[in-house]
This record gives sequence, structure tokens and C-alpha cells, in this order.
Amino acid sequence: MDYKNVSKKTPVGVIGAGSFGTAVANLLAENNSVILYSRRADRAEEINKSKTSSGQSIHPRIIATNDIEYICKECYLIFPSIPSQGFREMLRDFAPFLRPDHILVHTTKGLDVNLKTSENIFDKELSFEPSEILTMSQVILQETNVKRVGCMSGPNLAKELAQHQPAATVIASRFDEVIDEAKRAIKSPRFQVYASHDIFGVELAGVLKNTMAIAAGILNGMGYGQNTMAFMLSRGIREMIIIGTALGAERSAFLGLAGIGDLIATASSPLSRNYTVGYRLAQGESLDYIISTSSEVAEGLRTVNICNHISNKLRLDTPIIKTAYSVLFEEMELSEALNYLMSYQSKKDVDYV
Amino acid sequence: MLEPVIPNIQDWPIARIARHQDEIIEDVSEESLSQIIHLSEHSKSIRDLIAQAVYLERIRIKDDSWDVDPEDEPDFWAKIKKRLSSYDPILTDKNEVVKIENDLLKKIVKRYTEEIIGNFDPKLYWFAQQTLPIFFGRLLSASNGGIKSLFKPKMALKDRLFLTGPIEKIRQLSTKGTVILVPTHFSNLDSIIIGYGMTTIGLPAFQYGAGLNLFNSRILGYFMGNLGAYKLDRRKKNLIYIETLKAYSRINVYKGAHTIFFPGGTRSRAGNIEKDLKLGLVGTVIEAQRMHFEKEDNNSAHKIFILPLTVSYHFVLEASSLISEHLKRTGKEQFIISDDPFQSARAIFKFFWELFSASSDITLSFSEPMDIFGNQVDDDGNSIDKFGNKIDIKNYFSINGKITKDPQREQVYTKMLGDKILEKFMTANTVYSSHMVAFVAFEILKKKFKDTDIFTILRLPEEDREIAWDDFVFTCNRVRDELYHLNNHNKVKLAPHMTLEMEDIIEHGIRNVGLYHTLNPIFRTKEGNISSEDLKLLYFYHNRLEGYGLQKCI
Repeated sequence: MDYKNVSKKTPVGVIGAGSFGTAVANLLAENNSVILYSRRADRAEEINKSKTSSGQSIHPRIIATNDIEYICKECYLIFPSIPSQGFREMLRDFAPFLRPDHILVHTTKGLDVNLKTSENIFDKELSFEPSEILTMSQVILQETNVKRVGCMSGPNLAKELAQHQPAATVIASRFDEVIDEAKRAIKSPRFQVYASHDIFGVELAGVLKNTMAIAAGILNGMGYGQNTMAFMLSRGIREMIIIGTALGAERSAFLGLAGIGDLIATASSPLSRNYTVGYRLAQGESLDYIISTSSEVAEGLRTVNICNHISNKLRLDTPIIKTAYSVLFEEMELSEALNYLMSYQSKKDVDYV
Repeated sequence: MLEPVIPNIQDWPIARIARHQDEIIEDVSEESLSQIIHLSEHSKSIRDLIAQAVYLERIRIKDDSWDVDPEDEPDFWAKIKKRLSSYDPILTDKNEVVKIENDLLKKIVKRYTEEIIGNFDPKLYWFAQQTLPIFFGRLLSASNGGIKSLFKPKMALKDRLFLTGPIEKIRQLSTKGTVILVPTHFSNLDSIIIGYGMTTIGLPAFQYGAGLNLFNSRILGYFMGNLGAYKLDRRKKNLIYIETLKAYSRINVYKGAHTIFFPGGTRSRAGNIEKDLKLGLVGTVIEAQRMHFEKEDNNSAHKIFILPLTVSYHFVLEASSLISEHLKRTGKEQFIISDDPFQSARAIFKFFWELFSASSDITLSFSEPMDIFGNQVDDDGNSIDKFGNKIDIKNYFSINGKITKDPQREQVYTKMLGDKILEKFMTANTVYSSHMVAFVAFEILKKKFKDTDIFTILRLPEEDREIAWDDFVFTCNRVRDELYHLNNHNKVKLAPHMTLEMEDIIEHGIRNVGLYHTLNPIFRTKEGNISSEDLKLLYFYHNRLEGYGLQKCI
């Protein structure tokens, strides 16, 4: 079947008009007409009027809406692109309109944990079991009737995508047709697409690298150079693999675009939100102040806390995660943190392959 | 005994299909042929596939022949081989090559189809239905009340067999679509017990695949072959055979034959509930459902229902040989495999005798029927999603409003269905006293010798096997509390006897699990403690409660 012809006529949906959602919509608009969903009606109207969204001009083939039924009726291929914090809620709103023939390819690099009503994700003591953690594709399967689910992950900084710089990504799904559909919709001369069947591994790689991006921001903010950075990143990929495999993922996804690729991009770029949190912290700003003055959520903060909880529960050897957690949430001094890492008993270099 | 859902045997789907055997053979041949040709476009050429089949079949005939194999087999394959080497595929005209190869393929597929195909003889079925319960009833009465009772039966197999689950709904659905029964598999007796169980709730006969080896016995083969069994030959692993078998299954399910698939493939060697499924034939159910949606409009499309079934026994006839085989497969040590007692009529007789005489029960626990995507179905067979709304599952096969055939998509759906079935196996499992005592005893030993591997534990000397009675009762109480908790959350079922006083449960469990075996897997010593004469068997029965996280109670 020639999907190309079929899909040209049908618009593609994007849920979430944040900076990444807008960048994804612009990429898709090169091949398709696009319906961009924003939760707020005034925002959707404003996007249509000003032809800009989250500081990016939008392609003429994009129209914004806040009508859930409309986007679900018009599009069978939809890219949810919203922070993990509100992901489940948003899907519950969409669930009544999502049909078995919908295909959802999310771009959210975060985890879903089932907190007790009295708990907050940034609490010191959390009660959930590592086995209860869900990736966004698992949340989609839980909350909707959609079965054909995929994710898009890789070194894709929204601002660089908006500047039309060449980039590559991974589309992961258990279904070939999901990969084919998403690839056909988004691939372009400036956007290369690779495929994977290991959706869980690809999702986790994208999520876990955010923790390392914060650590990298801290190191750069402290004024350290490439040696320190390379040291942290190569030990960081090790910790990502250790946590990922403990949660049941395969190693290979961490070595591709969604793992190492994304780690290199976010850990060395002031354009990354997570990196910026670490950088500003090292520059002496308080975490509360940073959060209150950021326009969008840094997923990495939630992830550091979740990963620290998993590491403690499963007794994993993850010194960078633990130190990042102490710096962020326990007011550990940066110099003390660095001392801890430098004096940590060093073992075998590569013990994770 | 419930009234038959369809009173006249002649009207049963299986009888209806059996009346058109020629049509089935033709359809299966056509279907497998087109499937093999399609596959050959992506991998090996047809010539290579035939050559491979010839090669493997000739080895099988030489090294592993059975009584049931037809005499003309060597001849048939020699002729195929000769024909295959009679032309040069490069020098011969292309159309001619296609013609020769398709012709050879047709011959092979037809031969396989004729071997696989099962029959259903309503008269024989009626005869068996009338006589078997009498036989069981007399046996049962005799084992309870002495030989004299053999002639005055008072009890019946149905008194030992407990069927739980939404029976009325299952009956209803059997008239509204095709029911695919997927049971756990612990014993070769499963088929007999399940077959009988289905009769007692008035369901029409199901077709099922039986190993060709069982047809080595002429009498058994005659009965099975005419009571709905089709033949599976695990020796034949070539693609042409596999595709023919799948096409056979697909077409029968499509035509509405209620079918039993044992998704575990073979009997559970370790005694645990299946963790991995062999989904080849289950996948044909997904294909059959898609075919219905493709060929019929939505309102009239025939529906397929999946019905998971967990069978609970106190003891398994073949436990000893199964666990030995498991240990040999997984272990470094050499375990000698004892004979499979299923081969012996005396052993089967003894099994039923013990079953009846010792008040031992069998539970067939049906899960809620579901569609092929794991959605619940209502009494009319409509799929109901997790929000309680009707859902049109046809659209899982469509993209942009059009139904498409996508084998890779269906493979993933098959795996998803497999996961659902496994989940249902666990939640419908009925825990018996014997499962609990075996689990607790073995886990206590495992904890006591936590630094040793399983093989060393299985060889513990007698003096190290003893468990103090008080410790045993204490841990049993903890495990039972957790089982209650799981039961309250619908994660497992409990047999009625699990509400007895703990000492009575333990006594009941020990008595039942040791019933059949010469060496007691678990017993009370003279001092009143717990011990085992056969740790391998204890391990086997213990495994039944694996996967519920009960270890934390030890």
C-alpha cells in the first residue's frame, strides 16, 4: 500500500504547542497539512492570528485548534508533545475521541509514576516501586484504546530545529507501520529518520539522558572544560545503561541517537532546558528561583529524583545520579559534590557492555 | 450436567465443517500455496524451500520414523527430489520453471493437508459421550466403595470436577461466534478432562491439535481422529509444513470451528504456570478475525472469542518425568529421565483411581471471555473497552479508514494477546492446599540454604530436609494471608478448602500432593515435623505458585 498518497490528503496532528511541539509541527508541515492542538482557546487563536507559536514562526500549512474532537476526527496520525507531568491528564481528555485506528507517536522524554495523594515528586521519601514506573507509550496504552504507539527521540533541540539545521532522530515502535507512517510524515532533506523496534529502550534513553544534561550544565557553570565534561559524559552513559537495564530495557538503544546522540547534544548546549538548570545553579542561582523563572518544565529534575529513588531501591551503583540529587534537593555544596565524585572508588572502565 | 447449547450434534460447527472435508482440503491447499509463494518473494526461492523440505524429510524418515507414518513416504519424497533435479532452473524457460515448482509445491501441500486434517463423526461422539461417564462413574464408585460398587455407581466424574467462571456467558457466546479455548497445560490428561468438562456445560465439541505420536496407537488414533483432533507433527519443521498447518488452523477457525489451543506448546515441564507462549497457531486466530472483517460488513462480521482456562490439579500424573526433563534442560547436572507414565494404561488407571478414591479435585477455572485484543465482551459478544463503552475492533486492522493485511502488525497483536492470556492464567489460577504446602516447604529450604544453587538443594541429604512444624505453620499462615490479599484484588482464586483451619489445610495439602507418588513430595515425620522424600517433586509442585511474589512471606 502506498501510504504516501493516502497521508498527503490527511492532516497530521500535534498535541502541545510548546517549543518542541511547534518545532515538530513545522517539520511535519513540510510534507503534510498539520493541526496543532493547544489546550487554551485564546492561545490557539493567537497562533492562527500571529502565525507564531512559542517564539517560532509557523508554516502556512499549520492551523492551531483547541478542539479535541476536531483534531482526533481529522487526523489518524498524531504526535503528542507535552510534558510528562500533564501527559496522563491530557490523554484522559483525548481518550473518548481516540479510536482503534489512531496512531500516536509521542515525543515526551519523561516518566510517569503513581504517587500517593500526599506525595510530591520532589519529596525526599517516595513510595513507588521501580516496576511501577511507566514510559509515555505505556501511559497511552493504559489510558486509551490506541494500540499502535510509537515514540520519537534523539538529539533534537527545538531551537536548532526551528533554525532549519540538519538533524536526525529515532522513531521507535513495535509496529513497522507506525515507523513507516511517522517516517513518511516527518522525514525531510533536513531531518533524517532512523528506526527501532525497541520502544522501551529508546524512551528510557531519552529520559535518562536528561539527568546527565543537568550534571553537564553544573560542570560547565563551574567553569570546567572538556576533560571534565568527557569524564562525566562517559561515566554518565554507564549510569543510564545501569538504570535502564535494571528497569528491563536492552542496552543497544542507549548507544544510538536516542542515548549517546541526545546526551552529546543536550549536555553541551545552552539551548537545552536541563543543561540550563544545571548551569544556572552552578552560577549561584537557587533551584526555586530557576524553576519560577523558567518558561517550560525541565523534565530532568523529575527524572533525577525518580532515578535516585530507583537506585536506592535497587541498590544500583550510580554516583553521578546520587550526587546530582544531593546538589539539587539536599543543598550539597558543588565543591563537596565534585570531591565526592573524584574520590569515589574507581573500578573497571567499561563494566556495562 | 447442563442442556446442550445446540441439541442436535449434526448442527455443531465441527460436524458441519467435517461434512465438507474436500472443500477444506482445497481451501487449505490454495491458502498455504499463496502464503508460501508470498513468503518466497522475501526469502528463499520456491525451489530452495522444496529442496529444504526434501532434505529434512528424508533425514526424518531415516532417523526418526513412527508406526503412523505412511509406507509410501520414502517413495513420495524420492519422486519430488528426482523431479527437482530433472531441470536446470537457469536454462529452462521461466514459465516452465514456475509451472513445475508450483506443481511440486501443490503435491507436497496436499499431502500435508490430508495428513493434518481431522474428522468428526457425530455417531462416534454420541457413543463416547454415553459410555465414558459410565466408565468413570463406575470406577469412581468402586474406588470409594469397593469392587462391588463397580456395578452400582453412585458417583460421577462431575463430582470431582469443578467448573468455575462465567459458564452461562460462555454457552451464549458459543452460539454467537467462534470460541478459542486456551488452557494451561500440565498433563496429557488435560485434553480428556477439558473435553469432558466442556460436555458437562453443554458446549458443542471443540477441535484440537494432537501430537501425531498419539496416533501411533490405532485405537486411540481412531477415536481422536474422528472426535475432532487434527494432527500436529513436531518432527516436521520445514516451512511448507508449518505454513500448511497454519493455513489449516486459520481456515477452520475462519469457518467457525470452536478450537482448543494449548498456547504453552507442550506440558509445563517445571510445574509452573506458563511464562512463555508459542503463539504460531494463536496468531492464525488474529488472521481469521481480520479475514472476517475484510470479507463481511461490520454488523454481520463473525466474532472470535478467546477463553483462557486454568486447570488446577492436586497432583500431576507425569510430574516426575516432567520435572526431570526440566532439570536436565536447565541444569548442568545430568538427570536421568524416567519413563513417561502416560504411555502406560495402568498408570492412567491408577491416576483416576486415586483421583476418585481420595476426594481429590480438579478445577477448571474459566476467565472472562475476551476478544482477540483482550477486551471484555458482553453477553451478545460486543467488545467493551476499559471505559465500559462498546468498541469497534475492526479498526485495529485499518489505516486511514481502510482494512489492510499487515503480517508484522498481526505478529505484534499476537504477542499482545499472548501477554493477556498469561495474565488471565495467573488470575484464574485456583490455589489448592497442596500448592501452598509445597510452595512453603520448598521456599523455607531455599531460604535456609540461600547460598547454594537449586541443584544442590534438590540433593539435600535427608537430615537437612526437615522443617520444624511451628515454623512451617507460621509461614503457611503468612502465605495464606498474602493469598487472601491477592484474592481480594482478583489476582488469584482460592479453592473453598483454603478457608479451613490452618492445620486442616496443611493436612489436606500433604495428603493430596502425596497421593499418587510412590515417594512423598511432602510428609510429616514421626516427630511431627515436615520433610520430603522427593525434593524434585516438591520443587515441581512448589513452582505452581511462582510469579505471585509470595517469596516475601518466607
